[in-house]
Amino acid sequence: MKYLRLEVLKLRKKTRSWLGPILVFWLIMLAYPLTIEVSPKNLEIGFFSVLWIAILLSMMFATEDIFTEDYNDGYLEQSLISETSFSYLVGLRVLIHWLLIGIPISLLGFVFSLGTTENLSLSLLILPFAMMSSYIFLNLFVLGNSLSLNKGSVLGAIITLPMALPVLIVLGKSITAIQLEINYSGFIFLLLGSLSIIIVTIPIVVSFIIKAHLE
Amino acid sequence: MFQVERAYKFILYSSLIIYIVSLIWGLLFTQEDFVQGNSYRIIYLHVPASFLSQSLYISMAVASFVYIVWRVKLAAYLVISIAPIGALTTFIALTSGSIWGIPTWGTWWQWDARITSTLILFIMYLGLISLHSSFSNYEKADKLLSWLAIVGAINIPIIKKSVDWWSTLHQSASITLTDKPSIDPSMLYPLIGSMIGFFGIIISLVIISSKYQIFLREKNKSWIKEYV
Repeated sequence: MKYLRLEVLKLRKKTRSWLGPILVFWLIMLAYPLTIEVSPKNLEIGFFSVLWIAILLSMMFATEDIFTEDYNDGYLEQSLISETSFSYLVGLRVLIHWLLIGIPISLLGFVFSLGTTENLSLSLLILPFAMMSSYIFLNLFVLGNSLSLNKGSVLGAIITLPMALPVLIVLGKSITAIQLEINYSGFIFLLLGSLSIIIVTIPIVVSFIIKAHLE
Repeated sequence: MFQVERAYKFILYSSLIIYIVSLIWGLLFTQEDFVQGNSYRIIYLHVPASFLSQSLYISMAVASFVYIVWRVKLAAYLVISIAPIGALTTFIALTSGSIWGIPTWGTWWQWDARITSTLILFIMYLGLISLHSSFSNYEKADKLLSWLAIVGAINIPIIKKSVDWWSTLHQSASITLTDKPSIDPSMLYPLIGSMIGFFGIIISLVIISSKYQIFLREKNKSWIKEYV
C-alpha cells in the first residue's frame, strides 16, 4: 500500500505526465471530424480506427518518461536493492498509469463513441475493448521505454509499435463483428488472454532490462 | 578459424550451385500450374525466403536466451550477426510475395494476417538493429537486444498459425511435417533443392557476418592480431 500511495502521489504531482496524454487523446478525437465532411454517416466510417489509434498514441505519450526521471536521480537503483520485488514495483507503476490515464481515456472513448454513433449498446461494448487495449499498449510501451531508457522515447516506440499492431488488427476485427452482430466474445477472450500474459511477463522482463541498464 | 574459413566457402559455393540448379530446374523444366500458370514459379525464391525469415528469428531468440542465461559472448555476437540477414530474407519474402500477388490475387498488397505479421517481423528486425546501434556500450546493447529478441519471438507462432487462425488470402502450407505434401512431386523436388541451396547461402552469410562481429569486438585481443 505504501508503494501504491507513493506511485499515485508521484504521478499526480507530474500533471503533464497524466494530463498530457488525456489531452492528446481528446485533441485527436476532436480533430477527426474536422478532417472530413461532417455528416453522421461519414463520421462513423473511420471513427473506430481513429479511436484505437488515438488510444495507442496516448499510451505512447503516457509512458514517454515513465522511468527517465527515476533513472537520472537514482531512485531506480534504490528500488532495485529494496526488499520489495522490482518487477512488482514496475507492475504497480503500470497499473497506476492505467488507472489515472488509461481509464479516463477509455471513458472518453465511450463518450465520443456515443456522440458519434448515437448507439448506447455499441458504445458500452467499446468500453471493455478500450480498457483492455489501453492496458496492453501501456505495457508494450513501458517495455519499449525501458529498452531505450536514456536514448529517448522515439526509439522505444519504434521497437515496440510492431508488437502493438496485432492488437489493432484484433480491435478492428472485433468492431466489424459487433457491427455485423456476429459472435465477438472470442475477441474479448483473446485480448483478455493476451492481457493476462502481458501483465505477468512484461514487468518481469522490464525489471531485467532496467537491471541491465544499471549494471 | 582456418577450418571455418574453408568450411564456409565450401558451404557457400556448393549451396550456390544447388540453388542455381534447382532454380533452373524449377523455372524451365517443371510443368505449368493448372490454376496459377507460370506465376507460381516464384515459389523457388518466396518459399525459402519466408521459411528462413522465421527460422533466423527463432535462432536469434535461442541465441539470445543462451546469452541471457549462460552469458556466452559468442551467442550475443550471433544475435546481432543474424539480424541484418534476417531483415534481408524477410524483405525478399515480402517483395517476392507482393510480385506473386499481382497475377494471383489481383493486388500486390493486402492487410491480411500472414502478410501483416511478416511485415511486423521485418520492422522487428529493423528495430533490433536500431536498438543495438544506439548504444556505444556493446555489453549493454547485447543484453537489451537479447531481451527484445526473446519478447519479439511471440510474433513467430502468430505468423506460422495466421493462415489457420484467420481467414486470409494467403494459402495454407503445402508442405508440413505431418501430412503428405499437397504440391506435385515435379514441383516439389526443385523446391526442396532451392530451400537447401538458399539455406546454405544464408548460413554462409551468417558465418561471414559473425566473423565480422568477432573481428569488431575482439579487435584488441592478441589472437586477432596474430590471425590477421
